[in-house]
This record gives sequence, structure tokens and C-alpha cells, in this order.
Amino acid sequence: MLYLASLLPLAAIYGILVIGLNVQCGVTGILNFTYITFVAIGAYVTGVLTMGAPANAQTYILGAHLPFLVALVIGGLAAAALGAVVSFTVLRRLRSDYLAIVTIGAGQIVYTIIGNETGVFNGWNGIFGIPVPVSMSLSPIMQQLAFGGITILILAAVFFAAQRIQYSPLGRVLRAIRDDEGVTEAYGRDTFRMKLLAFLIGCFVAGIGGGLLGEYATAYAPSAFLPGETFILWAALLIGGVANNWGALLGALIVPIGFAEVTRFLPDFGNPTLIESLRGVAIGLLIILAPAFLPKGLIRERLAKDRAQSRVTAPTEEETSHA
Amino acid sequence: MPDALLRLDRVSRNFGGLQAVAECSFDVHEGRITGLIGPNGAGKTTVTNLIAGEMRPSSGGILLDGRNIAGWSAHRVARAGIARTFQLARELGGLTVMENLLLAPYPQKGENLWLAIVQPPAVRREEEELKERARTLLERLQLAHLRNEPAQNLSGGQKKLLEIARAMMTRPRLLLMDEPTAGVNPALIDQLVTYIRVLRDELGVSLLIIEHNLDVVEALCEDVIVMAAGSVLARGTMAELRENPAVVDAYLGGGGSEYAAL
Amino acid sequence: MSILMLSIGFGLVTASVLAIAGVGLSLQFGVTNFVNFAYGDYATLGAYIALVANEHGLNIYVSMLIAGIVVAIFSALVNRLVFKRFIDKRVKLVILLVVTIGVSLVIEYALQSIFGAQFQSYTITSPTPMQIGPFLLTTGQIAIIGIAVLCMVGVHLMLSRTRVGKAMRAMSDNPALAEASGIDTLRITDLTWLVVGFLAGIAGVVLAMNTSTFTPLLGSFFLMLLFAVVILGGIGKPYGAMLGALVIGVVTEVAGAYINAAYQDAIAFLIMILLLLLRPQGLFSSRGRA
Repeated sequence: MLYLASLLPLAAIYGILVIGLNVQCGVTGILNFTYITFVAIGAYVTGVLTMGAPANAQTYILGAHLPFLVALVIGGLAAAALGAVVSFTVLRRLRSDYLAIVTIGAGQIVYTIIGNETGVFNGWNGIFGIPVPVSMSLSPIMQQLAFGGITILILAAVFFAAQRIQYSPLGRVLRAIRDDEGVTEAYGRDTFRMKLLAFLIGCFVAGIGGGLLGEYATAYAPSAFLPGETFILWAALLIGGVANNWGALLGALIVPIGFAEVTRFLPDFGNPTLIESLRGVAIGLLIILAPAFLPKGLIRERLAKDRAQSRVTAPTEEETSHA
Repeated sequence: MPDALLRLDRVSRNFGGLQAVAECSFDVHEGRITGLIGPNGAGKTTVTNLIAGEMRPSSGGILLDGRNIAGWSAHRVARAGIARTFQLARELGGLTVMENLLLAPYPQKGENLWLAIVQPPAVRREEEELKERARTLLERLQLAHLRNEPAQNLSGGQKKLLEIARAMMTRPRLLLMDEPTAGVNPALIDQLVTYIRVLRDELGVSLLIIEHNLDVVEALCEDVIVMAAGSVLARGTMAELRENPAVVDAYLGGGGSEYAAL
Repeated sequence: MSILMLSIGFGLVTASVLAIAGVGLSLQFGVTNFVNFAYGDYATLGAYIALVANEHGLNIYVSMLIAGIVVAIFSALVNRLVFKRFIDKRVKLVILLVVTIGVSLVIEYALQSIFGAQFQSYTITSPTPMQIGPFLLTTGQIAIIGIAVLCMVGVHLMLSRTRVGKAMRAMSDNPALAEASGIDTLRITDLTWLVVGFLAGIAGVVLAMNTSTFTPLLGSFFLMLLFAVVILGGIGKPYGAMLGALVIGVVTEVAGAYINAAYQDAIAFLIMILLLLLRPQGLFSSRGRA
């Protein structure tokens, strides 16, 4: 029972993360192959902001004992700030495959810096002892449920905002940019600024999700944001449904959660890394097979239909009405 | 003679060693449909791209209402009132036909992040107005039954109509059209010609049309510019140009034979 | 013996490793026009195949050859069985790139599930550094440089003297024209994947020899350096990649010697990013293509 309760916040967190990725990649078509780096920034910044001054042989910046929600928002903004740095340098001119390469490179740079500069976020060991944002006087189950409640509320807010964005004129422009940036420019849109906006929104959501993830795990370290992690989220998006927020949620349930759960019950045959390895192989296979068999994912993009009555529905009808 | 709507003043553009456009100068007058013809490689598409802001000229000025727009970015040029259609249909495939039209007008309040999330009545009203305009247009172009269809599912001819419908939604001052009838079956060509006239007569749009189909040029354009080897060779009505030996040599006689059969 | 000279010496070795794979990646991108994010892992695969051969008593250089051949076949198969399906369906570039990432993950984690994540190394005779001019290199390192030179010469001969090589260059420059000229693009593509696979396999073994211990993640970090090399030299320009390898190899080693060695890779990425922004066509190319 405690176990199921502990799954709830994790599911919500992954839902948030995949929705953020969806805005960048599913809706707008920006190839962010280092999404996890922004999740990491959110986790680290939120984490250190809620912790006090460095103790327990850790060294990090920004220990500030801030209240949880404030720290969370700042974590999101920090991720967006990194996103701004990355995108100002690259979004303007690069075509998608080069952009993909650069995002991976940028991610590696951040990973290397955080790992080596121990003063920033305690280097390769990472930070631990992040305070839980719910009252410790509750029973363990109630703590998980309470935290689950918080994450679900935040997920609901993110989901609502993402839906609104997608089914608004803004969403229309972003999808147009995804389909053909040149044409969208020809209709007066500053596509660089709009891509920047979509990118920053995605990074902010990633940071929020990351902050929640850090609080959930009460620790965070570079091993948590290896490049492969981004592709677990990509697999979730590809399977669940590209450019569909319900699909994003479904994907989050199937891939990160589903996987973690299925693999829990497998024995490891004496090789401690076997399960993790098989999981990796499975993710890779999913990424190859999903686009092959489920071209747009399980829940496809829903296009807004115009339901108003029109006087004429087809040329032939017009002719017959004159008969 | 009032100042031209659009004036090219000795515009040149070279790509490495290749001189695509060389000291090209011409005027496009308001309220007219101006044709731009010439053999392949004459620089017509490059000139269009230069006007539209896809690239900047190596030298020379492009004046819109007297203001030099040379080197302006594509979206800035579009906001100044110049729109374009493309030779190879560039429909926004993942959007419905209706959404394709709704994209055309700029600016829209709902494209602001906060207004998109909140969607106050002002945004909903603007969206509804745009939808009404779009519905009317689609009915007129007999595309209404396809309005919820993803644009990539349209036939080639329907995509051409979509390009024109989008231009009608935009109501630009000047519309650049790159071979609007290329690859279109003859029955549809008449329709396209009609709608192009609608653009000028009812919507006040001036047009600069690149075309190889000289019948269409003759039917539509009061004014025709002939380009060859990167600059303007001659100018006049089609009748005048047919009498011009230089034009016949460069395009209508020998060089243009692939297209004169249309 | 100055640090500068020493690190230049090591830089030449790194450059050799980078050149073998860099030429392969550049050739592959030029002919097929998409980035294979699994290329680094092809090298890793080569390293592990050589490990198996080596553990069965085969000399490292023989193992290297076997690795090259196996990865060549693997590479061609992956293209036919996986990539080609998506290319034929004309999917968006995004999807194809993500699929290559999928292949990358499958290789990495399959290797990890078979061999585990621990550090591996080859059984080679312990290296004795020798002084070659101003440099201090082991016989193994000298061999690496030699192998790289061999590969470069081989690629050069193929590209300039054989019909296949010329067809590859044609496809790289102008795919439409190449097809229209009657080149069997399918066959040339297959051959390209064989050749670049072979190069990747060799490069993987050489890389593993140079880093002395390796894990299944060997190739993925290597790939980033390769991107820097290929971009520096100009996409689709194998000769540019050779020069790019030289520059990246030497610059990162020298920089690593004077600044924190852990940032060596990060410096290469930074160079790559700067290049992409300032001169996307590469240092040695005259036309822009990004």
C-alpha cells in the first residue's frame, strides 16, 4: 500500500516532464536531446534552496532554507535561464540535426562542470538530505499521499496551461513552425522568438518537474542525468502520443513508471547491472519500434475541428439544390 | 505618374561566382497585376526571394512606398504588407485547411503566452471573427467541405487554391506569386485566374506574378516585365513584347519553346 | 622534455584515433545525409569484439581486424534492416535521428548486459615509452598512428582511384545528380556503410588501446569529439575530417595539459559549438551548408 502511494507522486512528476518535452518537441518540433539537463538544474537548484547551509561533508551554493514552493519556482526559472543561454546561441541558425548535436554537447558540458566543480552541487556525489516538503509528523503513507496531492495539483496546472497553449492561436503558430518554418516567417511571425518561447516554456516545466523529482528522492546526483535519461522521456512521448497532452501522460505511465515497475519483479541472475542494462536495451528498442508501428503514438494529435454550420458543404450539393 | 508601390533600384545578387541578378531595376505599380517572365535562370525567383526577405541583395535598393526594405528579414517584410505564394505548394500539412487560413492574419492577440492560457473574451472574439472570414472564403473557393481536413491530404490543385485562400486572408498590399499555375490542370487554371482577379478587384491587392504560361500572363497582366540573365530585358504589354525582337530571341522564340506550347 | 611537446605527441595519437572514425563519420553523413548517433557505439562494439578475440588468445592487431570486419557487416545490416525502413517511408528527420539514438542505446546496454559495466582492458605487452624526436610514445601509440595513416591512405585511394569511391563523392556532393547519372545509389550506400563500419570498428579498438580501460559507454563520449572533428573539417569532406582530427586531437591534449584534464572533452564540444555558430561549413570548406 505504501508502495502504491509512493508511485503516485512519481507518476505525476513524469507526467509533468513529458508534457514539458511535448511543448518543445511534439508541438514546436525543436530537437532537444538534452532535456534531462534542464530537469537536473531544477532538481539541484530547488534542492539546495530548500536545504540550509552545507553540512554532512557536502559543498554547494545557495543553501537558503526557502519554503518549498518558492524554491520550486526558482528552480524552474533557473532551468529556463539555462535554456535561454543555450537557445540564444543556437536556435537562430541551426537546422534540426545540428541542433540535436549541439544540445547533446551542451548537456555534456553541464554534466562535466557539475561533476568536477564540487563546490557547486557537491560534484559526482551529488546532494542528499533534501528536506521533504510535507510534515514529518504524518505517517509514511500519508506523507506519500500528501506529496502525491501536491504533485497532482501541479500536474493539473501544467496540463491545463499546456492544453490552453496548444489549442490557442499560439499553439497554431508553434505547430506551423514545426511543419514549415519558412512559410510561418512569410506570414509575419518572428519564428526565432516563438521557438525561443516554446523552448523556455519546456525548460521551465522541466525544471519544475526536476525540483519535484529531487524532493521526491531527497537526493540528486550526476548519475541521474546521464544522456540516456532524456531518451526515456522521448520514448514516453513517442509511444504515448506526440503533440497530445493526454498522450504525454499515457506515455509517462507506460515508459518510466511501467518499466520501473515491471523490472522490479525480475531477478538479476547475479549480475547487478543486468536489469538496468536490459531496461536500456528495451528503451532503445521502444524508440526504434514505436515510430515504426505507432507513427504518431497511441493517442494522436487532436486537430481542432470547426463545427459551425456552413451554408454549402460541397460543390455537388450546391448543384442539386438548384434542381 | 505616382511613385511606384515597389521599386527595385539596380538590385544585384551573386552567389560566389554566379551572378544571379545583375543591376535589375523595375517598378511595380499599385492596383495592377504585373507579370514577370523570362527563361529559366533569368533570376526571377531570386528577385522574388530578395523582395520577400529570404536573402539580402549584394547591392541595390528595394523600395516599398519609398522605404528601403532590402535586407529586411522575411517576417519584417511580411508585416510591411508583402505576402507570397510558393511554386511548390507549401501547405502546413499537419494543420487543417481551416487552421491554415487562420494562421494567415497577423497580429493575433491569442499568440501572446498569457492571453493564450487565459483566453479572455477579447481573444475568443477575435478568433471567432477570423473563423467567420475564413468560412466565407472557403465557401467561395469551394473548399468548405475540406475545412477540417489536414492540409497534407489535399490534392495538388486544392493546395494551390489553399495558397490563394491564405493570401486572401492576409490581404497584403503586394502579393508575390511564384508560378501559380505550374503543374495545374487546365480546368483549374481558369478558376485560379478568376481568383487572382478577385484579389485585385475586391481586395485591393497588387500582384507581381512569375509565370511561364504566357496565355495566363496575357489574360491577367496589364504590365509585363521580361528578365534575362539577371536583369530586365524589356517591359510592356504581352502584345508589345511579342513584337520585340530581343524578347522573342531570348524567350518567346527559341529559349521559351518548352513553355510556349501551353 | 616540455609539457607542450609531450602533449602534442599525445595529441597526435588522439588525432589518429579521431581521424579513423572521423573520416568514417564524415563519409557516412556525406553519402546518406543524416547523423547516425549510434556511430560511436559501433566503435564500442568493435572494442568489445576485439576484447573477446583477444581473450581467446588472438593478437591485438588480428583482433582489431576481426572487429573491423564484424562491425562493417553489422553496420550494413543495421542500415538495411532498420534505417532503410524509415528512410523509405520518408519519415521526418526527427524520427530518423531518434531511431539512431535507439540503436545507440540498444548497443550500449546490450554490451553492458553481456559484459557488465566494469572496466575492461586488452592483454597487450606492457608498453615501453620510447623517445621519438621531441615526443615520448609507447610502441602501441606509435602503432596507432601507423594504423591511422594506413586507413587514411586506404580511404584516399578508394575515393580517388576506384569507381565506388568516386560514386561516393558524387552522392555526397549532389545526390540528385548522382542518381540521375545512373549511379546505383543503393549499392553505393551499402558499400559506404560497410566501409564506415569497418573504420568504426578499427577506431573503437584503437581508442580502447589508447584509453587502456573501457566500458560500454566508450563510444558515446567519443561521438561528441567526432562531431567536433567532422564539423571542423566540413560535413561530408573526409579530407577535412583528417585535418579536423589533427586540430581537435592536438588542441584538446595541449589544453588538457595546461587546464584541468577533466575538461578536455568539454573544450572540444565548445569548439564545435562555436564553429557551428560562426562558420558552419567548417574551416576548410568554401561553401556554406548548415
